Amino acid sequence: MPPSVTHQFTWPRRTANRVRGLSRLSPTAAAGVVIIVCFGVLALFSEWFMTHDPVSSYPNRILQGPSFEHWFGTDGNGMDIFSRVIYGAKFGFGIAIPAVIIAVLIGIPVGLIAGYRGGALDEILMRIFDGLRVFPSIILALAVVAATGQSLLNVVLVLGFLDSPVFARLVRAEVLALRSSNFVESAIAAGNPTWRILFFHLLPNTIQGAMAQTAVRAAWAVRISATLAFLGIGIQAPTPEWGAMIRQGAEFMVTGQWWVAIFPGIALIFLVFGLNLLGDGIQDILDPRRRASK
Amino acid sequence: MVLPLLIGVVFVTFMLVRVGGLDPVGLLAGPTATAEEFTMIRKDLGLDQPLWKQFLIYGGQVIQGDLGESWLSNRPVLEDITTRSFISLELLFWGIGLGAAIGIPVGLRAAFKPNRRFDQVTRIISLLGFSIPTYWLGLVMLFVFFYLLGWAPPGMGRISLMVSPPEFVTGSYLIDGLIEANWEAAHSALTHLILPVLCLAIVSAAPIIKQTRAIALEVIASDTVRYARACGLKIKTLRAIVFRNSATPIITFVGTEITGLVGTMSLIEYVFAWGGLGQYGLNAIVRGDFTAVQGYVLTLALFSVLIFLIVDIVVAIIEPRSQLN
Repeated sequence: MPPSVTHQFTWPRRTANRVRGLSRLSPTAAAGVVIIVCFGVLALFSEWFMTHDPVSSYPNRILQGPSFEHWFGTDGNGMDIFSRVIYGAKFGFGIAIPAVIIAVLIGIPVGLIAGYRGGALDEILMRIFDGLRVFPSIILALAVVAATGQSLLNVVLVLGFLDSPVFARLVRAEVLALRSSNFVESAIAAGNPTWRILFFHLLPNTIQGAMAQTAVRAAWAVRISATLAFLGIGIQAPTPEWGAMIRQGAEFMVTGQWWVAIFPGIALIFLVFGLNLLGDGIQDILDPRRRASK
Repeated sequence: MVLPLLIGVVFVTFMLVRVGGLDPVGLLAGPTATAEEFTMIRKDLGLDQPLWKQFLIYGGQVIQGDLGESWLSNRPVLEDITTRSFISLELLFWGIGLGAAIGIPVGLRAAFKPNRRFDQVTRIISLLGFSIPTYWLGLVMLFVFFYLLGWAPPGMGRISLMVSPPEFVTGSYLIDGLIEANWEAAHSALTHLILPVLCLAIVSAAPIIKQTRAIALEVIASDTVRYARACGLKIKTLRAIVFRNSATPIITFVGTEITGLVGTMSLIEYVFAWGGLGQYGLNAIVRGDFTAVQGYVLTLALFSVLIFLIVDIVVAIIEPRSQLN
């Protein structure tokens, strides 16, 4: 297959470009990476950092303020908030990473096929995606999770599924632009089967924009999953998930026990902020339009 | 275009609430109900019919403007939704208004001097705005301004319980109070509005800043502006040209932003016990009130369609050439 061979030569160069691109990350994006790595360490090795068991309660220490014994205080069940916040990082990553992977695994093939095939299939898919955009994502996620079951696994599946149109759209637009280009036509002429054209010829040339979105979409998944837990859907207290912890602390905010809700909220902001900083930096490097504007 | 969308929305929400794991019968009957009571409630709600029949009945009712009764409150869903829509619209109006009033000028200024200190600072602030959970911000505001400082009223409703609300004119207690010259009511409504509106404005300003900057940068790089600059026009005139040319995409963006903000607003309503449509919808979803969820989702879809229509009209007015297609 001569055409595909000539095309394969571009692979290493693109990879090299990408690596060089990552070293060009702006200082703000680098700060984002540092934040994400810190939380990643906390999530992987939370046992090393926790001072107490995150779900064992001390009945005689209910709602105590921050102290040397309990750094972030204790909540309404007498559980140590510091340890719970640390443990919560597991949920942040444990939901966001699989959700984004699912979204990519659904969205990219759908975008490839819709863009390449076109016709009625493409039309119907785009209509459905347009229809989904009518609703705010949190309402959609809430309704689907509430209706289909409230397990942790289901939250991950629903978030991944609802997020897949983002990737499908981006890939589809790229495929549409490349569909009738020379390298695709020559690949067809050389007798490549459709799946090979899609995944070996079009995929490497079209996923860049979608990949640039992954960090931002991970931020979205962390935010939405915490929001669901805050509303009491999906993960329930006393599970040490940040959104569920904020829910527990909500009633104490107007009576002065601020530490119950404030600390998990700060952790949540930091992780989402880190992901957004990184995502913004990646978009700057990969999006030619934004690069031109700099 | 709109009609198939609405039919699709009705169908999908109908299937979703029924095929899903929610069981309103169990919720309504309570833990001590007998098997006969279960079948009775099931029959009462029409749930003993086959699904396609249920859907036809529901679809027929919707066409006639009947959204059914809420299974929890036993009140017509349509009535609930209309009264609460005004309550939510007030919050949404001030919130997005303030957000746009902050976001558009800031975004334009950042674009006029890209990569200078102002641009970099606003960029980080707007990314932070993307990252703050709305409900947490609301809780922190309640803690600071109600508990610590005592400046704001507690986050319970739209007007103090001690003040009698004004007559219904626009649905906004603030405006109705002013019309009626009921200063006490207007003042109370205003103090209750400030925190939720501030919350919504902060959250909505972030994407508006980011998008306005991107749009304006693109306009600045366009031939029109380059030509104007080459002609030696004053910087003030140039900025006016940039503003005029970015107006259409900015308005379109703010329009799409409003639909997304409905979700954010629901959370704010939830925290401040605002009693509007957003809170109603959240409660209906969490409690499995099928008819209310269906009505709520349909209302959201209609609202989005309406917003897109308004955006199209506004764009057609300020940019007549867009009418060509």
